[in-house]
Amino acid sequence: MPETEKIAILPYRKVFQIAWQGLRIRLVKTFLVTSCITLALAFLTYILVSNGLAAQVAERASEALRQRLAREGLLEQMLSPEQRSQTAWMLGIALMISFVGIVNAMLISVTERFREIGTMKCLGGLDSFIVKLYLFESLCQGVVGTLLGMAIGAALAYAEGVSRFGAEAWSLLPATALLRTLAISFLSGVGLTVLGALYPAWTAARMEPVEAMRNEV
Amino acid sequence: MPDDVIVSARGVKRRYRMGEEEVWALAGVDLDIRRGEYLSIMGPSGSGKSTLFNMIGGLDRPTEGAVLLDGHDIREMDVRQVAYVRCRKVGFIFQTFNLVQVMTAEQNVMLPMTFAGVEDAAASRRARELLDMVGLGKRYDHRPEQLSGGQQQRVAIARAMANDPEIILADEPTGNLDLKTGEEIIRMLERFKREQGKTIISATHDHKMLAASDRVVYLVDGKITDIKTRDQLKISTGVIADRGAPSSAQ
Ligand SMILES: Nc1ncnc2c1ncn2[C@@H]1O[C@H](COP(=O)(O)OP(=O)(O)O)[C@@H](O)[C@H]1O
Ligand SMILES: [Mg+2]
Repeated sequence: MPETEKIAILPYRKVFQIAWQGLRIRLVKTFLVTSCITLALAFLTYILVSNGLAAQVAERASEALRQRLAREGLLEQMLSPEQRSQTAWMLGIALMISFVGIVNAMLISVTERFREIGTMKCLGGLDSFIVKLYLFESLCQGVVGTLLGMAIGAALAYAEGVSRFGAEAWSLLPATALLRTLAISFLSGVGLTVLGALYPAWTAARMEPVEAMRNEV
Repeated sequence: MPDDVIVSARGVKRRYRMGEEEVWALAGVDLDIRRGEYLSIMGPSGSGKSTLFNMIGGLDRPTEGAVLLDGHDIREMDVRQVAYVRCRKVGFIFQTFNLVQVMTAEQNVMLPMTFAGVEDAAASRRARELLDMVGLGKRYDHRPEQLSGGQQQRVAIARAMANDPEIILADEPTGNLDLKTGEEIIRMLERFKREQGKTIISATHDHKMLAASDRVVYLVDGKITDIKTRDQLKISTGVIADRGAPSSAQ
């Protein structure tokens, strides 16, 4: 067969255009999936930031704040081993909720589109096109959902911090620690979203088209 | 392989495994399909029509045997060559239409052209021409959910024609349509054969949909039991003349 009789690889711009349009048309579904990510990330970020704040109180709080917290018995409680193990628990649960919530949302939203994947392969779509399409889609949803969730989570954590520690809460967490926390949230949010989408998309893309079309759930 | 043969199936077998059980959906099919003919694959449900359809279009690979498209063995093609075949050489029509739900009629028809590297403007122009041709001139921007079954199938036909393929493969294209709409679809396919020299391969289990066929291949339990030409069909069923099929063929 002549070398020219091969399908060309679509430029990224074109794939992105198709992905973006799909997200727009499935607006309600896009919104639902994105809000799953937002919720999970709000929870994760909230736990991370408020734990960070609490941890800093012991080291960086002013004398006045320490004395007030000590009077109220809060300082002791915050430093107790029970509190530490509870914090670890909450962190574990937050991670699990994010993981299950996001991966599940993406898994469902991709597997219900196996027929579409099969159809696109019938029309000459390459496996790599399918993978890129879902990469873009999940990146868009992941970034938007994660940023929103982080904003909500951090806002909640600081609001709670201010109510417990007063205005000092704003300066408790050093910028680097805050940035690191946000980076962890961002990477887990976007990473889980992309992984949750790419795994099923890659599975479907590798199938023969008929198989993918039959496997619709 | 003689020049006028466009698809050739050689001892094609396809086995499916269901747990311990094995099913031979195709149990050795030999078939030469001629350029420009309208061939119907006729058989009851479960006889292997779709399986054969998938083999011919490069949507699945035979367990044994080979399918030659224009003399090239599909098994020996790499992924980008198979994609080329699906995109440029064959146009698919399915019983369930299989339009991309998030795309408009026009975008559905444009998709194979996009895969083929056609620029948007040119693809859009051709998509509109094709939709006009199948009688959906006012429905460019409708999405599948906003169209009736018959209209969806016409979009699918326009999409199958997008890259001007030599072969149109249709798997029970009328299976989900009422009789009248189904006949319109068949007439449309027959017109592509007559006016544009397309090779039409269509699977069906409905005798009423055989009218346009030049040849009918009978499939039972994954084996060809009979092949009838148009003339033999006329004699055996007698319904074809009534259905207004053109009498000019062969
Ligand atoms: N994916 C599959 N797994 C197992 N068996 C299958 C599969 N696809 C088809 N078959 C079997 O192969 C036979 C032929 O199926 P098919 O080609 O779909 O027939 P038709 O299109 O004529 O109705 C049937 O017995 C069917 O059950
Ligand atoms: Mg079938």
